[in-house]
Amino acid sequence: MQAEFENNAAFQSVLATLEVERKKIASTKTKGYIFIGSGIAFGILGAVLGIPMPSILIGLGGVIYGGILLYRITEQSRAYAGAFKRDVIGSALKSLDQSLTIEPYSGIVDDEFVSSQLFTTNPDRYHTEDLVSGQAGKTRFYFAEVHAEYKTEEQTKDGRRVNWHEIFKGIIFVADFNKNFNGVTVVRPKGITAAFGVWFSKNIFSFGDKDAILLENPEFNKTFVTYGNDQVEARYILTPAMMDRIFSLNRKSASAISLSFINSRMYIAFPLQRNYFEAPVFKTLLNPALLNEDISVIRFMYDIVNELDLNTRIWGKN
Amino acid sequence: MIIAIVIIGLLFIIGIVIYNSLIGKKNQVTNAFSAIDVMLKKRFDLIPNLVEVVKQYTTYEQSTLTKIVELRAKATSGNISDTERATLDAQLSSSIKGLMVNVENYPDLKANENFINLQSTWTESEEQIAAARRAYNASVTDYNNAIMMFPGSIFAGMLNFQPVTVLATAEEERKNISAKDLFNS
Repeated sequence: MQAEFENNAAFQSVLATLEVERKKIASTKTKGYIFIGSGIAFGILGAVLGIPMPSILIGLGGVIYGGILLYRITEQSRAYAGAFKRDVIGSALKSLDQSLTIEPYSGIVDDEFVSSQLFTTNPDRYHTEDLVSGQAGKTRFYFAEVHAEYKTEEQTKDGRRVNWHEIFKGIIFVADFNKNFNGVTVVRPKGITAAFGVWFSKNIFSFGDKDAILLENPEFNKTFVTYGNDQVEARYILTPAMMDRIFSLNRKSASAISLSFINSRMYIAFPLQRNYFEAPVFKTLLNPALLNEDISVIRFMYDIVNELDLNTRIWGKN
Repeated sequence: MIIAIVIIGLLFIIGIVIYNSLIGKKNQVTNAFSAIDVMLKKRFDLIPNLVEVVKQYTTYEQSTLTKIVELRAKATSGNISDTERATLDAQLSSSIKGLMVNVENYPDLKANENFINLQSTWTESEEQIAAARRAYNASVTDYNNAIMMFPGSIFAGMLNFQPVTVLATAEEERKNISAKDLFNS
């Protein structure tokens, strides 16, 4: 599949055009950094040698010129990054399935992130980009990169300090689920606090509207904690086969995944540290291995629908 | 003196917590059982429609249809025990399964939109019943663990709480499904 579209003449000419653009941006950026770097070095050297005033002025000149160069290229590099996503990633998507599209400046909005109930903390700073949407068989799905953080403030002797903590960084995958349901079911990776929370809610007192749900699959229970507001519905969604499929999907992912089933959709959060679908600036576009990682993540997301068997629509939902 | 009062107070509170938790679990078992009933009722309600649609297209399945209607009438009559009802339900399930397989012989019926809808609703309710049974078994296990393990076992003994058995598959359903048997039923 990959070779097929990468050998395509139209695709190669897109890459060649973008490569010219990339070289221009890369050389301007390099120049800018060199001016800034040598300006600072010059200033420091002058100060050490005892001629601070003239050398600082010359050094400052270099830093300012370098800054201007970098500033003037901003718009162009943004356009280049956009074109890369649209044309290069776009073609890779189309070669996998005609229905797949990418919108670089859209994503999963914060309201949807909060209402998915995947995470218990509400974000104070939220960024999302690269919305990929499409259809695999009968199942519509979309996914996007999300970075959500919350802040804490502490009083120090120099005033208030704000600390940012990560709630989630990675890809959130959303698919239309193949069964009808009304409630909320959430599957989270099991930690020590979660394990205690389950024991507490089952034996002492249950907070909130969701109870812990103890499923029959011991392996699944060791890896995940399941909450829901309807014991029967949670089991209707998480059939023994579905639990196995989620378990094996989790094994393929580097970090533990979280899932939620709400509003007739399923949400899956894959924590990832890398920023995907970004155009390289200092590396050539003509490297055949350029898209390997991006394509493998797209393929992974696309295959989830089959992996979780979401195309089987025999339960009265089409 | 004060220490003794504190200890007695603590024991009293622990006692209340254990007692309440046992009662909660016992009620959960009843509640989960009624959930199965609700799902079964939902499925029984589908049968008349299913029979109506199938009747229009087939001439050869009359005996199966009559059997299904009879079984449903018995199962919903109200004055039967839970065990009887479970047996009737199992019979009903296997008859309908047989019917769904035989539908292959009637292309018109298979293409009928009403029938397709009913078929998927049926599968849906089958899976919901399975989910309700699993939920029931989970709450039974939870309750049994609570009354058999210390310290719950002391209270359970005093209150005469008995362990409840989990639902198991009927012997008939445990056999491997054979298409041949289905066609012959």
